[in-house]
Amino acid sequence: MLRVDHLQVRYGAIAALHDVSLNVETGELVALIGLNGAGKSTTLSTIAGNIRPERGSIMFNEQSLIGKSPEAILRLGIAVVPEGRDIFPSLTVEENLRLGAFCRHNRREYRHDLEEIFELFPILQERLHQLGGTLSGGEQQQLAIARSLMAHPKLLMLDEPSLGLAPALVDHIFSLIVTLRSRGVTLLLVEQNVDRTLEIADRVYLLNTGRIELEGSPEQFKSRTTIRDVFLGKGE
Amino acid sequence: MKRSRLAGWLSPYSTIFFLALPMVALTTIVDLFATSLVIRIVTVMFVSMIIVLGMQVFMGNSGILAWAHVGFMGVGAYVSALCSMTPQMKEIAVPQVYPFLLNLHLPFWPSILIGALVAALLALIISYPLMRLSDAAAAITSFALLIIIHTVLVHWDRVTNGPRTLFGVEEYTTLWTSALCAILVLVLAYLFKESSLGLRLRASREDAYAASAAGINITQVRYFSFILSAGIAGFGGGLWAHYITSFTPDAFYMIETFNVLAMLVVGGPLGISGAVIGTALVTIAREGVRAVENMINLNQLLPFEVVGLTEVFLATVLIVCLILRPQGIMGGRELRWKPKNAMQMGNQQASQK
Amino acid sequence: MVAFEFLINAISLGSLYALIALGLVIIFGILKMVNFAYGELIMFGGYVLYLVGSNFRLPWLFVALFAVLGAMIVSYLTELVAFRRVREKSLTALLITSFAVSTLLQNGALLIISPRAKAVVLPNIFSQSITWFGITIPMRNILTISISILMLVGLTLLFRYTILGIALRAAADNFRMTRMLGVPANLVISSAFVLSGMIAGVVSLFWIGRTASVTPNIGLGPLLIAFVATVIGGMQSLMGAVLGGFVYGMIFSFIGVLLPQTLLDYREAFMFLIVILILLWRPEGLVRTRYVQERVG
Repeated sequence: MLRVDHLQVRYGAIAALHDVSLNVETGELVALIGLNGAGKSTTLSTIAGNIRPERGSIMFNEQSLIGKSPEAILRLGIAVVPEGRDIFPSLTVEENLRLGAFCRHNRREYRHDLEEIFELFPILQERLHQLGGTLSGGEQQQLAIARSLMAHPKLLMLDEPSLGLAPALVDHIFSLIVTLRSRGVTLLLVEQNVDRTLEIADRVYLLNTGRIELEGSPEQFKSRTTIRDVFLGKGE
Repeated sequence: MKRSRLAGWLSPYSTIFFLALPMVALTTIVDLFATSLVIRIVTVMFVSMIIVLGMQVFMGNSGILAWAHVGFMGVGAYVSALCSMTPQMKEIAVPQVYPFLLNLHLPFWPSILIGALVAALLALIISYPLMRLSDAAAAITSFALLIIIHTVLVHWDRVTNGPRTLFGVEEYTTLWTSALCAILVLVLAYLFKESSLGLRLRASREDAYAASAAGINITQVRYFSFILSAGIAGFGGGLWAHYITSFTPDAFYMIETFNVLAMLVVGGPLGISGAVIGTALVTIAREGVRAVENMINLNQLLPFEVVGLTEVFLATVLIVCLILRPQGIMGGRELRWKPKNAMQMGNQQASQK
Repeated sequence: MVAFEFLINAISLGSLYALIALGLVIIFGILKMVNFAYGELIMFGGYVLYLVGSNFRLPWLFVALFAVLGAMIVSYLTELVAFRRVREKSLTALLITSFAVSTLLQNGALLIISPRAKAVVLPNIFSQSITWFGITIPMRNILTISISILMLVGLTLLFRYTILGIALRAAADNFRMTRMLGVPANLVISSAFVLSGMIAGVVSLFWIGRTASVTPNIGLGPLLIAFVATVIGGMQSLMGAVLGGFVYGMIFSFIGVLLPQTLLDYREAFMFLIVILILLWRPEGLVRTRYVQERVG
């Protein structure tokens, strides 16, 4: 479904991504892990169309994404939930969701979509007419994910969804992600919470200072030495 | 070895020579051969250069739009005029002038310097809190400041003669005065830019967070640069006042702001070469179009008076410049002599966006 | 009775100022840019009134319609031709562009029409008054108040209930995220400019209506008013700007009668001093909105 090949991204003179290649097959839950500053968010931003890469290719269902605007990329079926949630604080929950459904033109479908969303995120139904800015961190995270789902994306990319949340909420978010996968949503998950991520992912990539260091199944990753080496700076 | 070290040391300062020499050459030629109209144009151009360089000192290095800049020019103009005018003249020109101002009568250079000083002092007193504001808020606040200065100038009858013309200022500024002062300010602006203060300011422009993490006190650095920039504007205002000999507060408002911005942006706000070249180019363009305007009007080529063509032309040029090349003609680089085997004194490379 | 007439006058000014502020803040909210050319949109409306009014025999309502449409089109064009291409660059570039567009339009009017003031034909109703229980109220004031209220209500409905309105508000909150949800950036911004132009057009009817003439620099006054009102009310919120404008208009009227003549001249400087103080001490404005967004510096 998604093929990223030899992506190189620069911020001015600094190379944020050196040579990143990864792919996501339909129905998979692929995880991208790594330290802070490794380039995980940059990778998602580039795929989403916010950053233009210097080199490399991004193919989504045989279509190149490079040079396309964020709006166009969403219409192709890729949605991203950015780090920090980015919900609209002065809009209500309902308005946030309505905007998420901007690209869907069928009003009847909208009602139906809302019902589905409420099933997954009951708290949002409770807070439907509250302002986004008054929600708690965990509720905002759910709203952000729900909002992206309103667009019925083929691929959903999540950037550190568990960041800053209490452990109980982290559990909730991760079980939510598993539920989404079971409903057929393809997911690319960027996370720092390695343990939980390894539990649910189909495949994992390890990103380190702008390069893919490791790729494999969670079992392969659970071999502690490899991970520990990278995270403690011994593997370069 | 010694030669390349010397070359390396000289290289950064070569910019000053590359700019100053043509200016001196131009002044000489104009002084000897040109008509009084051209002398007038060139003199005003040099004074404009001073104003633009003043703006470059703050805006070019900090990245923040200083809308209030020509306001300080106005402060310098009025203060220096009041200092240098004879009491008799003042009585006529500013009928209700304050007594202590009436009896003030100083020579040219002290007047100019006091004008610059007062402008700098004003900046010192009021601008500190403004330096903490973010981009958007700082731009708005300095715009408000411009309007306040203008309103005060328009209404403080007893000092400025209100919205009416202040006339009777003695003409002191000559072609050579303005040229040499421009070169002086050029050197000052350059030294500032390459100084530790200038370097810190430029760091804050590139990345405010990184700069403050590196221990740079952004507010303070901006503050001092702003004061310097206001002082230069006041200096230029004084020189201008003593050339044009009569003016109103409107001379230091929107139109002049536009002119200064156009000169700085077209040339390139990131360096002094840009400021100088931009001023020269815009002056040429403006005089050229004005000549066309006059020709059309005098010969009545069109059934109506052509007014405002100059501004329309310049505004279009400015917009096109911002769209196509926002970093200006110089693009942040300076005119420089780069000898191949010179040891560079630190990497002075200005790598700009 | 005089007090009541004065009050209507103050309310009329307040509602006009509120409308003026709204036109500016629509664009500021999304692009974080002060559209200096906003004043020139009002000027343009005035010139349309002059040109169409003096060359064609049409009912004034049609002339007014042309003025509003004209302002909308010019606003749209400034975005299309100039702002769109500078948008991606720095805020500084955007602000200078806005200033340049303003200069261009102003001097364009100077060049194409004339530096001299042109008389504008106004409808008879603008010079009429009605007398009610001994109180004389100029029709102009009543019209100003009612049209302003009508527009404010209409725009509030637009912002609250239409998808475009929601998209505009979202864009003011977080433009980047709005795009990532598939909302076309150009559509949002163009709509904001068109709305701003429409408001400017309506404002021009009443602003010119006070002096019955138009000059190239007539736009500066309303621009500064919008500026002050937006800062007082809070630059982030539409409601705040509207309230700020209303409050500004009322205060301005009251100061006009209360202050001695000597200090009156400094009214403007005083207002701008308040602007600076607010920006320094309470940048989110005086009006407390329901949710105060964090300022990203």
